[in-house]
Amino acid sequence: MRVVIVEDSAVLAEGLNLLLSTSGFEVVATVDEAAPFLKIVEEGGTDAAVVDVRLPPTFRDEGVQAALAARRLVPGLPVLVFSQYVEQVYARELLSDGRGGVGYLLKDRVSRVGDFIDALKRVAAGGTAIDPDVIGQLLVRRDSPLTRLTAREREVLEHMAQGLSNAEIAEKLVVTERAVHKHIGNIFAKLDLDPGDSGHRRVRAVLTYLDA
Amino acid sequence: MSPFPRLTARAEKGMRAALYLSIGLGTALVSMVVLSTLMVSVALIGAAGAGLVVLPVNLALVRRWADQERRRTGGFLGRAIPARYRPLPSGFGERLRATLLDPVTLRELAWLGWHIVMGVLLGLFGMVALVGVPSTLLQTALWWMAPDGEPATLALRSVTDWPTALLYGAVQFVVLAALLLWGVAPLARLHATVAAALLGRSRAAQLAERVETLSHTRAGALDAHAAELRRIERDLHDGTQARLVALAMRLGLARSRMGEDPEQAARLLAEAQSGAEEAMTELRQVIRTIYPPVLSDRGLVGAVEALAARSVVPATVSVDDLGAVPASVEATAYHLVAEALTNVAKHAEASRAEISLSRIGGWLRIAVTDDGRGGVAEDGGTGVGGMRRRVAALDGEFTVVSPVGGPTRVEALLPCGS
Repeated sequence: MRVVIVEDSAVLAEGLNLLLSTSGFEVVATVDEAAPFLKIVEEGGTDAAVVDVRLPPTFRDEGVQAALAARRLVPGLPVLVFSQYVEQVYARELLSDGRGGVGYLLKDRVSRVGDFIDALKRVAAGGTAIDPDVIGQLLVRRDSPLTRLTAREREVLEHMAQGLSNAEIAEKLVVTERAVHKHIGNIFAKLDLDPGDSGHRRVRAVLTYLDA
Repeated sequence: MSPFPRLTARAEKGMRAALYLSIGLGTALVSMVVLSTLMVSVALIGAAGAGLVVLPVNLALVRRWADQERRRTGGFLGRAIPARYRPLPSGFGERLRATLLDPVTLRELAWLGWHIVMGVLLGLFGMVALVGVPSTLLQTALWWMAPDGEPATLALRSVTDWPTALLYGAVQFVVLAALLLWGVAPLARLHATVAAALLGRSRAAQLAERVETLSHTRAGALDAHAAELRRIERDLHDGTQARLVALAMRLGLARSRMGEDPEQAARLLAEAQSGAEEAMTELRQVIRTIYPPVLSDRGLVGAVEALAARSVVPATVSVDDLGAVPASVEATAYHLVAEALTNVAKHAEASRAEISLSRIGGWLRIAVTDDGRGGVAEDGGTGVGGMRRRVAALDGEFTVVSPVGGPTRVEALLPCGS
C-alpha cells in the first residue's frame, strides 16, 4: 500500500518511515508542508496519507486543513491525522463529509506499533479510527441523543467510533457477532439513521456521536 | 405622551438645572456663614491663640459642608465625586498642621470662594428661570389687580391696559421660557463641573491612585507569574524529567541484558515503552497548563468554541468582532471560560450555558451565564477566587452575580490596550 507521510519533525518523519516500511507499506514520499502533499495527492497513485496536525508555516492546524483539502481533491482519500493532543472539533471536521476513511489519533498511539498499523489499515479500508481520548470527552455530555442508547449499545458505538469491525467488537465485549450486529441495528434506529444508506452509516453514527 | 417629547425633555432638564442652581443659592449663603466663622477663628488666633481651639472644629465643619455639596453636585451630574483626605496624625498640633496642608483643604477653601460668588449669581438665574414662567402668566392675567400708582411691570414696562399686558407679557414669557429651556442647563452644568473639579480629587491625585492600583496588581501579576514558572519547573523536573531518566535506564539495562537474558530485556523494553507513554501524557498536561495548544491553533474564538463543544452542559457561544487580543489576555480568557464551564458542570445544576465574547473599546468582555441554581460562594472551593486573581493579574475587572435560585453570570473585562 502506497502511503504519503506529512510531518515536519525530521525525527518523527524518519521514525514513521521506518515503522511503515517495516510493516509492509510503501512510503511514496515524506513531505513537511501542505502544498507538496496536495501536489502528490493530485498526481494520483496514493492509497493513504499520514498527516501531522501542526505543519509549517504557522504550526497551527494546517494538517487538518491539508487533510480536508486532499479529500476534496480525491474524495474518500484515506487520511490518518495525528497530533500531540486531540480536540473533538478536529475529529468532527475530518469526519464531516461522512465518507469514512478518516483517522484521528494521538501521537502517543504511534508507539503502540501494532495498534497504529491496525488503525492505518482500517482507515485505508474506508473505516474510521478515532482516538479513545476524543471518545472519552464525548461520554460526559448530558443532552446528546446518545442518552437514548443502552450502556451496551454505547459501548458498541464507542468501539465502532474507534473503527473496530463487528468481529473485533464481538471479541472485545465477549459476545457473539450476531449480538453486535443486533446492537448496531438498534443504534442506527435510535440515532434515526436511514437503513437505505448502508455504506456510510457507521461513519454517520460516529458523526452523530461526535456531534452530541 | 406629550405631543412635543423633545420640548418636554428639555423643559425637564431645565427645571432640574434651575432647581440645582436655586438650591445652590441657599448653599452659597450657608457657605458665606461657614467661611466667615472660619475667618473669625483665624482672626482669633491673634487673640491669645483662642482660635487654635476653634480652628480645627471649623475646618471639620468645612469638610462636612463640602461633603454635603459633593453629594448634591454628584447627584446632579450623575457621578460620584469622591475626595480622599490624607490620614490625620495624632497630636493636636500635628493634626492641625496636616489638615491645613492637606491639598484637599485648600481646594475646599477655593471651592467656598467660587461657590459664594458664582453660587449667588447663578442661583438668582436659577430662581428666575424656575418661577419666571408661571409668575409671568399670573402677572399677565392679574395686572389689573395692581394698586393705583404702582402698576405691574412686564418686560420692564409698566402695564396699565390689556393690549400692553398681553404684548409685554408675551415678550417676558418668551424670554423666561427661553432661559428655562436653553439658558440654565449649560450654566448649571458649568457651575457643577467647576465645583466637582474643586471638590473632587485633583488629576494628580487620580493618577497617583491609578499608579498605586497598578503597582499593586503588577506585583500580584509578577508573583503569579513567578509561582507559575516554579510550578512548571517542578512539574517538568520531578515528573517528566525523572520519567525520562528511568526510561533511559531501563533501555540501557535491556541492551546489556539482551544477550544473556532476552526475556528480561523484553520486559524492560515493555516497561520503557509504557514509561515513555506516561512521560508523553504528563508532558501534554504540563503544556496544556502553560498555553492551551488549541488556543494557538485556532485563536481565542476557536478555542472557546472547542470548550463549548466538549462542555458537559450544552453551551452556546456568541462572539462579536474581537480585533487584536494579546496572547496573555487570550490565555486568561480561555482559562476563565474553561473554569466557569467546569463550575457550571459541577455545581450549577444548569441545563445550558451561554458564553459571550465581545470587545468594548480597549476591553475584552467575557461572560459565562448559566440557568442553574445560583448561590455561588467565592470561598466554596469553586475556583472563583482563582479566576479573580487571574483577572486581577491583568488589571482587569471581575464580577460574579449569582443570586440563590440563579441564574449565575460570571463576567470579566480584560484590558487589550487600545
